[in-house]
Amino acid sequence: MFSLVFLTIALICALFAPIIAPHSPIETNPTNILKPPSITSGNLLGTDNQGRDLLSRLIYGAQTSVMIGVLSVLLAATVGTVIGLVSGVYRGWVDRILMRVTDGFLALPYLMVALTAVALLGSSVINVILVIGLLRWMGFARVLRGEVLKLIEMDFVRLALASGASRTRIMITHVFPNITNTLLVLATLEIGLAVIVEASLSFLGLGVPRPMPSWGSMLRDSQLYIYLTWWFPIIPGIAITLLVMSANLTGDWLRDRLDPTRRQL
Amino acid sequence: MGRYILKRFLEGIVTLWLITLAVFFVLRLGGGNPVEYMLPPEATQADVAALTKAYGFDKPLIEQYYIFNKNLLQGDLGTALAWDKRPTVEVVWQRVPATLQLTTASMVLAVVIGVVIGAISASRPDSLFDKVGKVSAIIGQSMPVFWVGLLLILIFSVYLNWLPSAGGVDRLGWKGIIMPATSLGFFLIASHMRIVRSTMLEVMESDYIKLVRAKGLPTRMVIWKHAFKNASIPVFTLFFVNFAALVSGAVVTETIFSWPGIGRLLVDSLILRDYPTTQTVILFASAFIVFINILVDVMYAWLDPRIRVS
Repeated sequence: MFSLVFLTIALICALFAPIIAPHSPIETNPTNILKPPSITSGNLLGTDNQGRDLLSRLIYGAQTSVMIGVLSVLLAATVGTVIGLVSGVYRGWVDRILMRVTDGFLALPYLMVALTAVALLGSSVINVILVIGLLRWMGFARVLRGEVLKLIEMDFVRLALASGASRTRIMITHVFPNITNTLLVLATLEIGLAVIVEASLSFLGLGVPRPMPSWGSMLRDSQLYIYLTWWFPIIPGIAITLLVMSANLTGDWLRDRLDPTRRQL
Repeated sequence: MGRYILKRFLEGIVTLWLITLAVFFVLRLGGGNPVEYMLPPEATQADVAALTKAYGFDKPLIEQYYIFNKNLLQGDLGTALAWDKRPTVEVVWQRVPATLQLTTASMVLAVVIGVVIGAISASRPDSLFDKVGKVSAIIGQSMPVFWVGLLLILIFSVYLNWLPSAGGVDRLGWKGIIMPATSLGFFLIASHMRIVRSTMLEVMESDYIKLVRAKGLPTRMVIWKHAFKNASIPVFTLFFVNFAALVSGAVVTETIFSWPGIGRLLVDSLILRDYPTTQTVILFASAFIVFINILVDVMYAWLDPRIRVS
């Protein structure tokens, strides 16, 4: 319940940031820096080191996080689904090669590779989405391949094969519809991770370009002022944690909901 | 068993080779001429040409790849641009112990705390302790490593002034590792708690536990002597699966706490545009993960003979 409410809030912030935010997220105000949260001053959550309103940056930051989280997971899910399906349906040497490649990707220290890739390509929203998406599809491929291998042994697939359906047709019309539940659960759970990776990249200074607000880069700024302000490092962190937690809880809930055998547990 | 180890080992080498292939091509094709990335924007055309020649980037790709592999087999991964132009292997190797200290410390911390809390929760399901534990695990798993680090600094360095916020073990002794290890191991504590709790509950339902309970064994004995032993296999898996995540998390942790490991080296090499060092750090970290994975598979095969056959 709570997680759905928070996800909705984050989504509304992301979609209607310009309407909701009380101030501009990038306009600086040198006379009003590092103000603590207060109800009376007009900066509900205080201001940062450049005098920007933290609440507004937080709201616009939701836009960045949600957008990058959703789009990169969409990319990862697409790549992972195609590889999982092809691997499971065609098997043989195709499967062996694809799984070897998957193992290779799994053995990559992904944050290191992501950092390097963004440093080489230049930091932009598109690059961050591409890098996260192309480094996190392996979970989808592995799990979905397992599901496909189970499905392919079932009678309805055998019947389709016997009646002369091609492998591609079986893959698209018979196998794929049966793995969408798993896909949905995996994607929801993966969004939390993508949000953390984006925040980590921005925290290290290689995520979305400045002055675009991101919760990760807000925390990066706050690190320098940690001896002066307690609220600056705390507020963006709460936002990240709540968003990730909501995605995780929604994923768990979907899994229990869609899989009747787990409902009792 | 010997054959199985050999097979896994060869597969590991193939995986590593695929990674070197990927690193080689991504760094060359993705970024155009790597030299342009390595030099500052104001570098002259002559500088670019000189460095391109020095690194052999002007040769055809196939030839470059041949040289790359030849050098790789001889353990030569090029010389660093920064760090006194020493061989990158030497520069990275020097930083490995600090990262190992950090990852090991956070692993030990996560396993000890996670297992103890998880086991206590499982022994009293739905008690207050269990409920608090469950909620903290869910929150703990959602907190980014770097935020945990900042919070720890805020509490223990800024307000309480108990612990130093930067430096390695060499400079600060054991006190220096507490906060980095806690922040890196924080999400692992949560995942260990959850897995120990759920497997223990499953094991507690099994017939042999009912039997020892029926025999009148005290609960504490049942949990630690009988249930825990069988619940430890998933814990063991989780332990190693998480090593890859730890190596990634180390990048952030080492940056926050100025920890002199390979994670920080990577970030520094990116800032300094020291491309050979970046490449070596990634290859080292990948090799480490591949090695750990082989170790897990072999240990599994040793624990469970069924795996060896399939």
